[in-house]
Amino acid sequence: MTRVQVLLSLAAIAMIVGLWFAFTAPVDAFQGEYSRIINVHVPSMWLAFLAFGVVAFGSIMWLIRKKPRWDRLAEASAEIGVLFSAIGLFTGMAWGEAVWGRAWDWGDARLATTAVMFFVYVGYLALRRATPDPEARARRSAILGTIAVIQVPLVYFSVNMFRTLHQTQTIRPDGAAMPDEMLVAMLINVAVFTFLYIALMVARIDVAKAEASAAQTQDLAGDAVKAPLLSEVEDV
Amino acid sequence: MSFWSQAREISRIDLMVERRVGDVFRIIIPFAIVSLLVFPLALGVDLTGISLIGPAVFWALGILFGMQVALRQAASDSVEKRDLYALLGVDPAARFVGRAMSGSVLMIGFLAALLAAMIILYSPGLPDGWAGPTIAASVLMAIGLTELGTLAGEVTAGLRSRNALASLIVAPLALPLVIGGSQVLEALSSSAGILPWILLLAATDLALAVAGVGLARPLEEASR
Repeated sequence: MTRVQVLLSLAAIAMIVGLWFAFTAPVDAFQGEYSRIINVHVPSMWLAFLAFGVVAFGSIMWLIRKKPRWDRLAEASAEIGVLFSAIGLFTGMAWGEAVWGRAWDWGDARLATTAVMFFVYVGYLALRRATPDPEARARRSAILGTIAVIQVPLVYFSVNMFRTLHQTQTIRPDGAAMPDEMLVAMLINVAVFTFLYIALMVARIDVAKAEASAAQTQDLAGDAVKAPLLSEVEDV
Repeated sequence: MSFWSQAREISRIDLMVERRVGDVFRIIIPFAIVSLLVFPLALGVDLTGISLIGPAVFWALGILFGMQVALRQAASDSVEKRDLYALLGVDPAARFVGRAMSGSVLMIGFLAALLAAMIILYSPGLPDGWAGPTIAASVLMAIGLTELGTLAGEVTAGLRSRNALASLIVAPLALPLVIGGSQVLEALSSSAGILPWILLLAATDLALAVAGVGLARPLEEASR
């Protein structure tokens, strides 16, 4: 098995463990089974914040060092961050539909700012796709990746800045605003999702390396599509 | 030439080009005012509703057309012009500051025209003492939006899908500016303090200015 296969297999096992904790933890008295969504929603949003922080780190490092590996790190992290912020958004909306009675509520600043953050990074990926030259792509996206991270604290603190439906931070310096069993299940899932992020990052960076290598090997496709000689296909 | 002399000169040239081309005052402002007419036509004769949505429409159109001001054709340099600036030894940071200065002047003019048109067309119920805070918020928003537009314009320079892509980048990143600007009137209406929102606008402007100056050299290389 390759390193990526081992990591992804371990991540799959960890996900099963995380799901077991999510489904065996006690539920909220008012929200019932819907409160289990927190075990996917919170880890997804944590991963999105982590991933976009890594995009900013990779972008700054690329601007300083100009090494392709920092660009690959930022690219991989942005794609995974967009995926998990979408999962976080949809799980939040599903929970809102069940508990608030509507999937989208303009009274919830966290929901609106998260959607905006999602689109900032969709723009980041669009910029990458629109720039064919690898050097220019790395430079442009590094600049945007450095600036775009401003959205992360805005989303995180939106619940403190505005009167909003979304509850404030669950884990605060004065303790957690949930029972220990629920907190443990949520934190285990945060750890599981973080491991999944690492596994996906390793896999995506390997793909990016292969793409860069293929782009440099100009005659690869030429050999593959070379017309066969008649002598080679006589017995077909 | 000192840094500020370079910035002033870039700004002066930009404004001179704009005076000749007239992107902002002959095209964008009239188009934005025409757009102000669309909402009441779509809503029908509902004077209360029109009066209520006035400030919101102002901020929404301010952002949408403000992006066009920031990304106007006159503000995009050709490769030859960039090379000339580099050969003349113009500091990339001074170029960013100069461009942001001229853009801010145009943006303030644009927002002032849009605000006046909105007040005339929508007759919004503005709270007492709205003028000072709204003008302050509009000026800060103009500066921030111009900085953001200048950054996005440079990042997407030379790409075929420049305008669409730059708008996709600017619109979500302008969120702190929209929130700060719109919440000033909201806070005045509910007799709450406006200082946090003015500070949010000022902090965003400052952060963008630091990013623009700090990233000026990579930005210049990126736009080649």
